[in-house]
Amino acid sequence: MADSLIAEGLEKYFNPETTAEVKAIEGTHAASYAAKLARVKVVSAYPITPQTTIVEKLSEMCASGEMEAEFIKVESEHSAMACVIGAESTGTRSFTATSSQGLALMHEELHWATGARLPVVMANVNRALGAPWNIWADQTDSLAQRDTGWIQCYAESNQEVLDMIIQAYRLAEIVMLPVMVNMDAFFLSHTTEPVALPKQELVDQFLPEYNPKYKMDINDPHAFGGLAKPDTYMELRYNIQKSMEDAHRLIPEVADEFEKVIGRNHGGLIEEYQTKDAEYLIVTSGTITGTSRIVVDQLRAQGLKLGLLKIRFFRPFPVKEVQSVLGKIKKIAVIDRNLSFGRCGIFFSELQAALYNCECRPLLNGYVAGLGGRDVTPKTIEKIVNHLIASEKGEDLIWMELNI
Amino acid sequence: MKDALESNNGKPVFAMSVTDMHKNKTGSWRYMRPIYDEKTPPCIKGCPAGERIPQYFALVKEKRYQDAWHLILEDNPLPGVCGRVCYHPCEGVCNRKDFDETIAIHNLERFVADQNVGNSFPQRFFAEKTGKKTAIIGSGPAGLSAAFQLARKGHAVTIYESLAEPGGMLQMGIPKYRLPREVLEKEINDIKSLGVEIITNTEIGKDKPWQELSDTFDSILVATGATKSRPMQIPGEDLEGVSSGLAFLREFNMQHKRDIKKKIVIIGGGNTAIDCARSAIRLGAYVTIIYRRSRHEMPAVPEEIAEAEAEGVKIIYLTNPIEFIGNGKLEKIKLVQMQLGQPDADGRRRPVPIKGSEFEIEADQVMLAIGEVPKLDFLPEGVHEKWGRVDVDAYQMSNNKGVFACGDSANGPIGTVVDAIATGKRAAIAIDSYLTNQETEFVHYGKVVGFNEINLDYFKKEKRVKQNRNNQKEVLSNFNEVHLGISESDALYEAERCFSCGICTYCDTCLIYCPDVAITKAPDGKGYIINYEFCKGCGLCVHECPRNAMTFEEELKWRIV
Amino acid sequence: MICECFHFMGAQNVEVNMIEIRMHGRGGQGAVVACKILASALYKEGKFAQSFPSFGVERRGAPVMAFTRIDNKPIHLRTEIYEPDHLIILDATLLQSVNVTTGLKPGGKILINSALPAAQFQLPDSFIVKTIDASQIAVIHGLGTRATPIVNTAILGAFSKFTGIVGLNAIESAILEYVPVKAEANVKATHEAYQMLKAENPADLVV
Repeated sequence: MADSLIAEGLEKYFNPETTAEVKAIEGTHAASYAAKLARVKVVSAYPITPQTTIVEKLSEMCASGEMEAEFIKVESEHSAMACVIGAESTGTRSFTATSSQGLALMHEELHWATGARLPVVMANVNRALGAPWNIWADQTDSLAQRDTGWIQCYAESNQEVLDMIIQAYRLAEIVMLPVMVNMDAFFLSHTTEPVALPKQELVDQFLPEYNPKYKMDINDPHAFGGLAKPDTYMELRYNIQKSMEDAHRLIPEVADEFEKVIGRNHGGLIEEYQTKDAEYLIVTSGTITGTSRIVVDQLRAQGLKLGLLKIRFFRPFPVKEVQSVLGKIKKIAVIDRNLSFGRCGIFFSELQAALYNCECRPLLNGYVAGLGGRDVTPKTIEKIVNHLIASEKGEDLIWMELNI
Repeated sequence: MKDALESNNGKPVFAMSVTDMHKNKTGSWRYMRPIYDEKTPPCIKGCPAGERIPQYFALVKEKRYQDAWHLILEDNPLPGVCGRVCYHPCEGVCNRKDFDETIAIHNLERFVADQNVGNSFPQRFFAEKTGKKTAIIGSGPAGLSAAFQLARKGHAVTIYESLAEPGGMLQMGIPKYRLPREVLEKEINDIKSLGVEIITNTEIGKDKPWQELSDTFDSILVATGATKSRPMQIPGEDLEGVSSGLAFLREFNMQHKRDIKKKIVIIGGGNTAIDCARSAIRLGAYVTIIYRRSRHEMPAVPEEIAEAEAEGVKIIYLTNPIEFIGNGKLEKIKLVQMQLGQPDADGRRRPVPIKGSEFEIEADQVMLAIGEVPKLDFLPEGVHEKWGRVDVDAYQMSNNKGVFACGDSANGPIGTVVDAIATGKRAAIAIDSYLTNQETEFVHYGKVVGFNEINLDYFKKEKRVKQNRNNQKEVLSNFNEVHLGISESDALYEAERCFSCGICTYCDTCLIYCPDVAITKAPDGKGYIINYEFCKGCGLCVHECPRNAMTFEEELKWRIV
Repeated sequence: MICECFHFMGAQNVEVNMIEIRMHGRGGQGAVVACKILASALYKEGKFAQSFPSFGVERRGAPVMAFTRIDNKPIHLRTEIYEPDHLIILDATLLQSVNVTTGLKPGGKILINSALPAAQFQLPDSFIVKTIDASQIAVIHGLGTRATPIVNTAILGAFSKFTGIVGLNAIESAILEYVPVKAEANVKATHEAYQMLKAENPADLVV
């Protein structure tokens, strides 16, 4: 019985050639190790459940000398982001992490990091916002930062958290925009699973030393963050948009490059699963994706042509990628663990807008499920699929498993 | 792919300066111009001798006590004397008095002098001889001051003194508990070191005729002071026991006469009256001062009055003697009470007797100290006098060409040591110009900085230092100096308190505030340079200057020039 | 360690359903760490594993749960465990306050930390129940006190013998990696518990 559990092709996941060590670790520690592997020089963060263990691990590693970085203690998330902005201004690779209310407190600094073109990388643990207090999974915190100009990606596993933080630095430092790597509270943050820690020399090969063209330097003084009048501001915004478009193009390239060096590829802006002949499609992000894969497998075994589209990047939004998946798709279910009050799930509205200019417009249903950490089980997803199949007209907002 | 930080025009895609501020010649925006413009602090103008007070304070702050002494000497060769006996009008006008307490300028002057007891005049005071000769009659503060200034200019000076010791009123009038004679001697010796000759025991008109002076010297300066006591002109003034206060002081100070009666009454409210009273009390007498007005009008220095009262001197205000009573010898004084009427010419309210308020007190000695007048009988015919003093013009010269007068013997500001020093200095400047046939240049003070022109944000309220003093009981048993000056740390603290009104202290405030970095330190570290290519005329430096050492002027004024 | 990870690479792939284990304990007993050690040990044997606590805010003494999933392929399922295959009960008093068998699949094994015989607990016959006095083992090895023994490593030794899902060597290796203090004592406790678990019915034991 025991032997029957032994997996085949573990190397597919934990390539021994590129792996220094496989450790059974929590998602938060995956983020900590990623920062270490990226040779981050400055860490500044303020603890908040369920992000706390990221910071704990980093401060331990900074204190023990395992990590050669300055850990700056601060009194709030706002200060943490300000610290990281300061450090990045000098051309120093920096890291921070937060969650929920903490991210909300950072809000105005998030805009600044973008406008100052600082490639900050931050791990955010997706947690519900109060009131009332709730520490469990919900993506509304990061999605509410939609217009701050941060590149946002959503991870499905601890391995993806680690790999994406390393890739985030590569991407950020090319396009000079900040990146937020998101993981679901508890479903990833506090779940222990084996994670391959890549060899440091390979990470170094993939992620070159950071040395921006312009930086704060006492030997070459410049004034930073000055006034940009109406005659220049708009052009600077245009440049950010252009860089976002560059990021759009570069995300798959960086993923491919990562695969070449480290041997893993989690996909580009999206990941398609069983979409080739699919007539029905589930669109997910974060950990609901994993659970959905099982449902897709089960229902396909029953003959349903069901596919899965995992949205990995919310910003830049994969408009053309999503359009290209459509094919024979008849009906689409978007599952959102988030909500924009007065509208619907946020991924849904983005997707709906992305498909508006398409000739073929499938039926589109928006399902809001699992807010505040409520479990989204295979049963929930089956219900969604059944509802989708039965739907004749698209609906923007369908509440799942509501106890009212 | 091109660098994400570079836009199409090659400039950064975020707000970063790509050139330094030199490109932006903000000086072109200027319509107002800040300039360093030192102004007159009230203390300098308030000092009759014009001592440069904040400037020597700056040297004190650097512990350059010898340099500070030299700077004081420029205007006053008697800082050790003045640091003790001056009534310090400088402090009366000090802007700091409206903030917390006036700066102890008087104590600092003494401190500087005391630090230089073993030092002599700097080389620069020893000028090349001009060959011109001046005679000065009287070696009081006016004569000494004039002699010093003339000698510094290379003129030969001879002082004739009628008494046995030089110093005039400083020697005969001021008690030793206020002015130890070694202090006076030191400063007189310093002046003599410049070649000034002092011939004592020589009264002009008696021991030496005027004619001899006018034949020998290129100019003569009358500095005899006011040495003749004014009489009361009331019955009984000729009784035994009625004398002049000044005579008492002279005999005691110079001849060490110590015989004195028990019940002494002093008439008058000036410094001479106080000096007589405090000297007499030290000799064991019971002393009462009779003054015809109230304390408010009393001309003596308030501190001195307070000291006298603390030492046991009784002062009866608003009272005037109308008769000295006795049979050959003074026994009683008849007094009348006064009330204050309308103000008279000098602004003080005139005392008016109250009818029927006469009363008597017992006394066995009376000293009159109601004022002194000069004794000018040695002057040749034709020298104009005015109110008993030599009538001089703006250049201290009488109608007799080459004959000058200063101090209490001339008309003008009178009555105090520092006034004498001031007019002596003024006379010397005039004599120098007369002797060398050059234009006279007196100092003209510019704008005086007022209290509301000080930027108080830069100062915190602090206590004024207090002078050390001898034990109260001990001082009454001898003539040792009552006040002992201030410590070095107190001096430094007090110098630091000074606003330095209108005088730059190189505090860097202007430089720190300049938003265009247009202000730099002068190469020697003393002062600043404004680069008008970049000064946009915002005025922050002028606005912030703690001490009003800068002025904001209209740019047009400069452009047209 | 890497070699060990990939040592079993050539093993046969047998189609077996995922195994889910639920551990009941009290805050402070180490259930969460036990599940982490279990996940690590399983990975060392070449199995995919996922462990997580009952999500939330636990306090010392409060009833808590921790979960472990085991599979021969990557585990995509990201939900809590509702129908476990086996149970581990760190504190027998929980049986009185919590319905621990909720959702347990028929034939599931229940391992209880207790000095009492299994029959004493009167659990349904559809489950296989065993007890081990892990508390005593822990105390003997200096793990915690008699009042608050740290039983999480000892119980894993017994669980290894009881279910055969995970080998003793892998547990030992995981303990050495994850337990910061008294690692040796924990390993000894694990071994002792393994040895002590009695086979009332030898057929129940998969060795």
